[in-house]
Amino acid sequence: MTTPTLAEKTKAAPQRRRGTLVRARRREAIALVMPSLIPILVLSVAPLVVALALAFTDARLVRNPDYEFVGLDNFGRLAGNSFFWDSLRIGLIWTVGVTVLQLAASMGLALLLNSGLRLQGLTRVLALVPWAMPPVVVAIMWQMIYSANGGPLNAFLGSLGLPDDTNWLGDFATALPAVILVGVWVGMPQTTVTLLAGLQQIPAELHEAASMDGAGAWRRFTAVTWPSLRPIVTSITSLNFIWNFNSFSLVYVLTEGGPGGRTMVPILFTYLEAFKNRNIGYAAAMGVVLVIVIVLLLAIYLRSQFRDDRTERRG
Amino acid sequence: MKSRRVVTAALLAVSSLLLTACGGDSGDSAGGPVTLTFQSLSDQPAAIAATTKIVDDWNKSHPDVQVKVVQAGWDGVYDKLITQFNANSAPDIIHYEAAGVVPFAADGYLADLTPYVSEQKRADIPKGVMDSVTVGGQVIAYPTELQSYVVFANRALLQKAGVTIPSGETMTWDQLREIAKVTTRDGAYGLGWGLSSPTAAFVALAPGFGGKYFEGTGRDAKAVVGTGELALPKLVDAMAQQDKSVLPVTLTQSGSKVLASFYAGQVAMTVQGSFQAANIAKDAPAGFDWVVLPPLAGPAGPAQAANPQTLSVNKDSAHVKEAAEFIDFFTSTENLAALNEADALIPPTTSAREALTAKLGSKNGWNAILSSGKHLTSAPYLFVDKYAQWKDTVATPAFQRFLGRELDADGLARALQDGWQTISR
Amino acid sequence: MRALARPAQYAALLLYILFLGFPLLWLISASVKSSRELNSLTVSLLPQQWHWENYVEALSRQGLVHSAWNSLVVALVATAVVVVIALPASYVLARLRGKVRAAGVGWILVSQVFPVVLVILPLFLILRTIGLADSLAGLTLVHVTYMLPFALWMLQGYVSAIPVELEEAGAVDGASRVTVLRTIVFPLLAPGIAATAMFSFVSSWNEFFFALVLLQSPENYTLPITLKMFIGGEGKVALGPLAAGAVLAAVPSIVFFTLLRRRLTSGLMAGAVKG
Repeated sequence: MTTPTLAEKTKAAPQRRRGTLVRARRREAIALVMPSLIPILVLSVAPLVVALALAFTDARLVRNPDYEFVGLDNFGRLAGNSFFWDSLRIGLIWTVGVTVLQLAASMGLALLLNSGLRLQGLTRVLALVPWAMPPVVVAIMWQMIYSANGGPLNAFLGSLGLPDDTNWLGDFATALPAVILVGVWVGMPQTTVTLLAGLQQIPAELHEAASMDGAGAWRRFTAVTWPSLRPIVTSITSLNFIWNFNSFSLVYVLTEGGPGGRTMVPILFTYLEAFKNRNIGYAAAMGVVLVIVIVLLLAIYLRSQFRDDRTERRG
Repeated sequence: MKSRRVVTAALLAVSSLLLTACGGDSGDSAGGPVTLTFQSLSDQPAAIAATTKIVDDWNKSHPDVQVKVVQAGWDGVYDKLITQFNANSAPDIIHYEAAGVVPFAADGYLADLTPYVSEQKRADIPKGVMDSVTVGGQVIAYPTELQSYVVFANRALLQKAGVTIPSGETMTWDQLREIAKVTTRDGAYGLGWGLSSPTAAFVALAPGFGGKYFEGTGRDAKAVVGTGELALPKLVDAMAQQDKSVLPVTLTQSGSKVLASFYAGQVAMTVQGSFQAANIAKDAPAGFDWVVLPPLAGPAGPAQAANPQTLSVNKDSAHVKEAAEFIDFFTSTENLAALNEADALIPPTTSAREALTAKLGSKNGWNAILSSGKHLTSAPYLFVDKYAQWKDTVATPAFQRFLGRELDADGLARALQDGWQTISR
Repeated sequence: MRALARPAQYAALLLYILFLGFPLLWLISASVKSSRELNSLTVSLLPQQWHWENYVEALSRQGLVHSAWNSLVVALVATAVVVVIALPASYVLARLRGKVRAAGVGWILVSQVFPVVLVILPLFLILRTIGLADSLAGLTLVHVTYMLPFALWMLQGYVSAIPVELEEAGAVDGASRVTVLRTIVFPLLAPGIAATAMFSFVSSWNEFFFALVLLQSPENYTLPITLKMFIGGEGKVALGPLAAGAVLAAVPSIVFFTLLRRRLTSGLMAGAVKG
């Protein structure tokens, strides 16, 4: 009987073909990834692994370093450092505040820039202005704008008949919100450009179909725009979250963590410990804790995003 | 399990290799002229010119030892230095300040310059200033420029309030308080003080009240906050809250920003770093009549903590001796006078200070400022590990909360001491 | 309803532009004010007296023009390299499933979280071992490495947004994979590529910390380093010249944005519809 051999043949052939196909694809994938992988391995992974390893030592930045493996000692010490945990709380408020506001403000701007208004070219370039300002002067410029006396913001509020003596960066209540606003300002071009590029990718037919169905602006946003933009929103918020968490220099130059420690962020701690106290081992332990906290938070966020994604697709 | 341990060991080996096994390569010992790199932080165009001139003079007269200036920025130089030292690529001659280089000296990066300091130079530098650059009995840097805190006053406002301008050797803090009270009138305040970063000023002025803030040195130091340390913060608080003689917003501003209120006549006096004299001369509106009041003295005298700018030598330099000779040349009376004039700072040597007084004493403010240089002395905080961290994470927030009335004096003392405990554990 | 929507949109756009653009306007204003005016309590957008000397002083500062040239070279080369090597890799990342992708994404996140201060020393030593410390080539390489995770992450997001069916349709037509990538995927990605290129350029152009620590010789300094030198000890800031230097520093970025703007905005979906 030929049937079994035939069956065997038909079964084996695609398998073999799939095998070579997979191998070819893998080779192709490796070739495509390699150019990126090499610099990352040499200049990013290697230094990072060294730094991670330091977290388990008592390394100091001294002339003749002599240090040993201390296990989890650094982490035990860190657990008792109340300043570090306080600053972590402030850091998270700052990070979440900036990230959420950045997304909301940038989404609004990106939609406006994508809605066929006049002077689009000009406005799109103007929207990128914060990017063009060198970070070295961003903080100095905002300090001038916020200045309690002789600053344009208070002068403007005064001309509207509003109180014109708010000490934006010096008052305990307004310092953190004022700094968050600068954070939003700095990050907006990045987020806006990203979202705008995403909006451009949405096939126009989808919108046309929706408007033909009689959907209003809001309905079109929730039914077409938001779902299509979803992967990009997820990407940019995760990254913004990380960057905002890490951007201590802006806060530092604006307020030096003041007033009264209201704007002290945890990266500043790590910096002080690593460079000013030269306890690089202990500082590396702080870095590890920060990585764990951020990665955990992001894992929760990304998981919920992917789950929504799946249910949406299924539904 | 085993393999994991092996991996960890390998990682540590690699990291220690990377961190330690990097040979110095600044030597070109085989004959020929020696080249020394000099990382300079001068930022004012005039000071850059003065530095260049000094180096050119040296290079002309010393063909065997050529000095190459590497200009770097003051802001961020600490980060640069710590990387340079740890990667063994630091320059031969290092410009910075006492509070910044003492930690490097403690960690063994700086050459001992004691054998190269001539008797003459040692006699020329006041002991207090010399102490601020001496770590463990070794001179680790030459002081080059100094600043003090002085009171600038608007002469017209003082005269309008019927105040005679104090003219003694020194004036007391009580006098300052009185004048501030009297001149608080017609919508103007007596005093503006830029205390947005209060720690530097409070710590530097504490010696006048017998305050030290720290006992012991290095890792064993202890924070002590008692009457002497609290006197000045309490005085500022009393002036701001009881007398209402301090323009409130200035307490949260930088010193430079307060000058705008000073020019506008909103405050009659302002406490500032002495170098601001040059800015006032440049920026004040035409006809603005200002004067520098005599040095402030507390119950313990007019002493202020010195934190001089410095020149040090990298311990791993192949030519420590030549570098030290260059620094000695750099700190000659004539050179220091020229450099400090350009930066509007106070020369650390008595001879250069006298030379500058002779040259500029008649110019507004310079006489009082230069004479305040006599009262500068070494302070314990320079020699305390983790001072930078204490300043940024403990002291500055605590002082700000005290000035913002969130803490009382006891609370401030407790916050300063407990904070030290937490970070030094 | 419709008639009201447009004016409201313009008003909202105007507010955005004001918020985003005002600091630059204030910077320009500061760049033409004298030190005396900057240090007074007067608030005015227009200077009482035009003080162009700030530009003269900024330009006469050591190496401002030279460092701008360095920055331009580093930023352009780094941007080109990042886009060229991230594009194929991000495609693989987006189309891969399972462990490899998770590892890739995980790495991207971790590398961005870990504080740079802790990485800088080992990085410096590695660069010196390969002879690239204190060189613009080394700095470019570092910029490429540290912008790559972002570029990969963003580009893979854009690739994921392209329906696989489009590619499969191409493959059914008998086109090879490379052809599919070249003719279908990459054109669709153009806005994403433009966004990534803009980001890379700006990040490199503005980057301060690596440049500060890695570059030792003044002839290699990049623009942010030179600008930072306007800020002296004791918070002495030469505000007017700094503002002038910063305004000049903003020009290349704005030119670059204007050049890439069309890429960002052209309706590239048209290509796919036609195909």
